[in-house]
Amino acid sequence: MVVHSLKARRMGRAAAPYLLLAPAAVLVGVFLFGVANGVAQGFGIMPFLGMYEPTLGYWVQVLTRPDLAASVQFSLYIAFVSSAIALVGGVLLSAALCAVRQTRMLSLVNVQIPLMCAHILVVLFMVSLFAGSGLVTRLLFHLGLVSSPSGFPSIVGDPSGWGILATYVWKEVPFVAFCTVTLMSHVSDRYGEAAATMGASPVRVFFTVTLPLCRGALVKAFLVVFAFAFGAYEVPFLLGPTLPKALPVLAYLEFQNPDILNRCVAMALNGIMAVVTSAAAAAYFAVLRKEGRRK
Amino acid sequence: MRRQARRAGCSGLWAARALVALQAVCVLAPLAIIVVWAFTASWPWPHLLPESLTARGIEELFGPSQKLGEVLGSSVAIALACAFFTTTVATMAGRALSRYRFCGREVFRFAVLLPFLIPATVFAMGVQVAFIRAGLAGTVVGVVLAHSIVALPYAALIMTDAMEAAGNRLEEQARLCGAGPVRTWSGIIIPTLLPSLLSAASMSYILSFSQYFLTLLVGSGKVKTLALVMFPYLSSGDRTIASAYGVVFLAATLVVFFLFELLLHKRMAREIDYFNG
Repeated sequence: MVVHSLKARRMGRAAAPYLLLAPAAVLVGVFLFGVANGVAQGFGIMPFLGMYEPTLGYWVQVLTRPDLAASVQFSLYIAFVSSAIALVGGVLLSAALCAVRQTRMLSLVNVQIPLMCAHILVVLFMVSLFAGSGLVTRLLFHLGLVSSPSGFPSIVGDPSGWGILATYVWKEVPFVAFCTVTLMSHVSDRYGEAAATMGASPVRVFFTVTLPLCRGALVKAFLVVFAFAFGAYEVPFLLGPTLPKALPVLAYLEFQNPDILNRCVAMALNGIMAVVTSAAAAAYFAVLRKEGRRK
Repeated sequence: MRRQARRAGCSGLWAARALVALQAVCVLAPLAIIVVWAFTASWPWPHLLPESLTARGIEELFGPSQKLGEVLGSSVAIALACAFFTTTVATMAGRALSRYRFCGREVFRFAVLLPFLIPATVFAMGVQVAFIRAGLAGTVVGVVLAHSIVALPYAALIMTDAMEAAGNRLEEQARLCGAGPVRTWSGIIIPTLLPSLLSAASMSYILSFSQYFLTLLVGSGKVKTLALVMFPYLSSGDRTIASAYGVVFLAATLVVFFLFELLLHKRMAREIDYFNG
């Protein structure tokens, strides 16, 4: 009897983590099902229309369209530039926050409020600041740098996409700082002090001790920002140029076509996004594995 | 040499202070501008201050033409449901990932983060037909489910980290003193995790409240949230109305955040009283 209950207990313990993870697994399962469904539709598999035969036709159609290269390029450019600026800015902000005495108020204003603002709200902020009638153009006029509301490159639809970049930078610099600030203050308290006592200058401590020890967290934050900026719809739709369109904007445009077969084209475009972001996900997994081994 | 290093440290401190101050200005300036715009009647170029003020924007939003009250109510309800559901799921997952060694642990740890890396746009377009066939499209339940998927990575990260940091010492002491699982959870585990539970919940609330594309596709335009009705006004049109929407949006996020903070502080204050008394 005792043996029996012990055995049951051991089995219960073995099953416990899987039971605890079950609801999360269902959510991730729905997510992956949606992504896989979309990718399959890109190969012309639409069971709800009785189409089961896989074809490469839609991918060929998408890959040979003249506007594709420019769209992919534009999305990659937006993603790379905004995540690179976010990374550098986030590291600086996080280092600055570690150096000054941290108060709740500072972290609220510097990090938490930007985290709380939705991307569409930040679009409104940027338009209010930088549009023709925005405050910055008014200030520039008073400084004598601009003579009319249109004397400044437009925030909406400029081919350089600077409005999109500004929105992502405003939002993601604090995000990177949020991901690193706890670790960074811990590292500089423990190892930075030691290095400083041995005579290393603050700059040297930062580059040889603090940054290398935070590398994992920084790479992860960079990948998340990159994948988001590459695949998000709202900001490039609102602020992007008519041509080239960002990849998600192009995909949704094709998706909205009343001809349902056109969805396969949209899904092939989504497939390209899935490939690029899966590469980011694989890199993320590699960082996790490395960290896990060190533990 | 030393003095030089100290001087470098000192100027570094000033640089750090300047940077923190600059960031504060970058954050607060746009917030202030949309509040001013929301109450502006006319603001001709190139004046730096508005000419006349009005409450027209806010009045129009809640008036009979826009009926924002209803939309605001449903947005808050959806976001609260998402916050509660996601935090529960994430707490369970965090418990499994922090306390047990099991086959596939690393894969699970990574899998819950996938919605972080693969865009919600790809998911939303891919799942639309399946949601329609399952009867979830255009329903509040479907929207809450979709939002929870996107919020899960944040909440799971927060809860796993918190549980790993908290360790199991207090919990084991309680068990040794004879507390059953229910008392251990209600008396020890949940109170020690409360700050993280609230931050996971407020993060999920914010994420749900901010979703536009996912709500549009899964909600089929039938489930209206503030982000959805506000979207068309953002890049063009009446600046006063757009900013009024922005102010309401901001307020709805901040109020809930501060409510959570208040809850936490009250609780913490009581605990300190308990230990001192």
